[in-house]
Amino acid sequence: MRKLVIAGVIATAAPLMAAPAAADDSVYGQFPVTLKSWLGTEENSVAYTGQIARQILHDSLKKLAGKGNGKPNSALKAEMLLYYEGKGKDRKIIAPSSKGPFVVKQKTVGEISNPNLSGKTYKGAVSGMPNNMTGPELIKFWIGKASSANKGVDTANGYNYPQLISKFILGAVFYHQAVDNYLDEKMTAKNKPNNKPYKKGKHYTGKEHSWDEAFGYFGFPAHGLKLSPAQLYDIAKRKPAGAGYADADGDGKVDLYDEMVFGPAYYAAGSDKSKKTNYAQTIGRAFIDGRKLIASADGNALTDAQRAQLMKYARTIETAWEQTLAEATFKYAGSCFKDLKAIKANPSDAKAVAKYIKHWGELKGFSLAMQTGRKNLGETATRLNRLIGFGPVMPNSSQVTDIDSAGNYVKGQSSGINEYMGHMLKVQKLIVDKFDVKARKNDQLSGMADMLKKLGSGSAAEND
Amino acid sequence: MTILDWISQEYIPQLLDSFLNPQKRVSIYYLALAASIALCWSFFVARRGLRNSFKHTRFYLFSRNIWFSRSALADYKILLANHALLILIAPFFISKLLVATVLFFALQDLIPAGGAILSNVSPLSVAIGYTLFLFLLDDFSRFATHFALHRIPALWAFHKIHHSAETLSPLTVYRTHPVEAIIFSFRSIAVQSISISLVVFLFGSSVDLISVYGVNAILFVFNVTGSNLRHSHIQIRYGRRIERFLISPAQHQIHHSLDPRHHDRNFGAALAIWDWMAGSLYIARRNMKLDFGLTKNQTAQTHLLSSLYLSPFYEVFKSIRMAITRHNPSNRSAKKHAI
Repeated sequence: MRKLVIAGVIATAAPLMAAPAAADDSVYGQFPVTLKSWLGTEENSVAYTGQIARQILHDSLKKLAGKGNGKPNSALKAEMLLYYEGKGKDRKIIAPSSKGPFVVKQKTVGEISNPNLSGKTYKGAVSGMPNNMTGPELIKFWIGKASSANKGVDTANGYNYPQLISKFILGAVFYHQAVDNYLDEKMTAKNKPNNKPYKKGKHYTGKEHSWDEAFGYFGFPAHGLKLSPAQLYDIAKRKPAGAGYADADGDGKVDLYDEMVFGPAYYAAGSDKSKKTNYAQTIGRAFIDGRKLIASADGNALTDAQRAQLMKYARTIETAWEQTLAEATFKYAGSCFKDLKAIKANPSDAKAVAKYIKHWGELKGFSLAMQTGRKNLGETATRLNRLIGFGPVMPNSSQVTDIDSAGNYVKGQSSGINEYMGHMLKVQKLIVDKFDVKARKNDQLSGMADMLKKLGSGSAAEND
Repeated sequence: MTILDWISQEYIPQLLDSFLNPQKRVSIYYLALAASIALCWSFFVARRGLRNSFKHTRFYLFSRNIWFSRSALADYKILLANHALLILIAPFFISKLLVATVLFFALQDLIPAGGAILSNVSPLSVAIGYTLFLFLLDDFSRFATHFALHRIPALWAFHKIHHSAETLSPLTVYRTHPVEAIIFSFRSIAVQSISISLVVFLFGSSVDLISVYGVNAILFVFNVTGSNLRHSHIQIRYGRRIERFLISPAQHQIHHSLDPRHHDRNFGAALAIWDWMAGSLYIARRNMKLDFGLTKNQTAQTHLLSSLYLSPFYEVFKSIRMAITRHNPSNRSAKKHAI
């Protein structure tokens, strides 16, 4: 009888004991310190503060880029540069800020970390814009332009700088660093090995921290796997309900370090809301599984088999992340097509033009962002850049064709709005063909599928 | 999936759909309307009186001699066999969406400045234009395909199966060789892809079709005005003037007639203008005595499923062999030596 009672107690307790482990499985939370040489008292080896600080710098820079009054403003330019390439613990968090019940825990960037964005920006030449500027050069060029534009928008040439800067950084810093650096170069056997500290004096190993940094660049809350795409979206938009979804520790505040949704994860969730994709969960799951694998090595160098498995997770992340950028490019090409249609119907509609310029900025930014990954997109990139051009085709058919040595735009006459609308459709087709996107928001060719569906098989095989 | 699953989940539902879906010409709704039209024609136009009209309609539309003739029984067998065959090969057909997309982008490349050039046209005008264009293209392509099926010997070998029907019922429309059914499927793919890609290219967005029960409104009118009577023994004429524009049931019956004067006439489906332009129009006359089929006194062999399916291949093979023999000089010299 006694044995039976003990067995019963064990049977009841076993699932309860297992429960916390199951819950932890969906949180990029605490992983043990495995570094064998470490003698300190730290219990958690996870750290990605620098990356989250960069997410905040990006959000703040985007906000600043829309603050110009249409006149040259050196103070604004200096402030923007402070957030892009400067340092300084006291840099205020301009965005994301508190909004009603959505209370943000931190007030300054320095409360998390004190990095810059420029040092981590894609250093290659950006062939989608004139003069072969490097990533940092292009962003600084845009910062200069934004500081003297009215609310960051140049209506004459068709540039919305907050969108251009923001979307490009989503690729040139976050995507680029994650997939081309931390999940690639730093995953080799020799680079940042798992049996040595990431840096002298650190309590985490080379591989642990490299993986964590990549995770930080995705901008996903530690408990993100427990959230639906709509909930992730509400957090990124700082909606009242979003505060509840974000506040995992229940302290009434949203900790930007591990409870917030930033740009890359927001766009993944945006696609996932269509229920046709599952990018955020796919990426989040691969990050956690990869981190578990590294932890399981217990501070030893990873075996070839372990590294091979880790690279599988890395490629899963890379593919899905690239697709989120491609989905966004696809979506905004469709937006531009719709905007141009509205402009054709009423060329003097300033609101329609403003919308078009904003969407074009997003399209251009994302299309350039896609080109900063590990892979060289080759012909696809060339075609994307040619189709989209250096600037949008404006209602009067003018288009920026170059930038002179003084940084002024050179404009030419394009072949017209109709042809450019065709370009937008070709961008959508190219994205579908090359990146296998599934959400396909604003699909301008879906109309053909609907029309065919409506016609049905009809009397296909009937003769006379 | 077992064969039983396939029959219950695909074959039977799709077969029933042919008779219940208003997009299909032989749906029960159109068949019922066709019977009513036949009755009205007999009563109001032929002035046979109510009793005789019922008698006449029953005799020419519902007679056992028509529905249970060896020709009609062959129609049903072909319908059932073709239906299975087409379900099986349909997945291998090229996707209409793919063709439409390729054509759409070909237009973009060919006329870059023409994309969405008509985007400011009112939606109603666009819908009317699209409906009309689709109907015209569809009808013309039916005429052209039908014309080719008669004039090209290799195709006629297959189309002959349809013309071997000695009694006509609405289901005779399905008496086709599978090769012909495939040709008509490709016709449909081409028409739908061309019209949709062109319309989306010109108007910059999807366009509404003016439809009734999911059918092109004009085609719907064609269907409700007795298209099923084309394959029947009820001779409904539209009169000399209208028959220059619209093909009447009687004109299509002429197309099936054994009389050599009627051969290769009236290829059109709904519109007669194509035949008019091609010189193949034949206006129906009052009380025509028409016999149907390929020859007088066709044998039962003609209606065997195996014969219907295989004889065209044999015929095509035979003509190819003859053509090779005729054009091969070594054969000719061999024959000469033999003589």
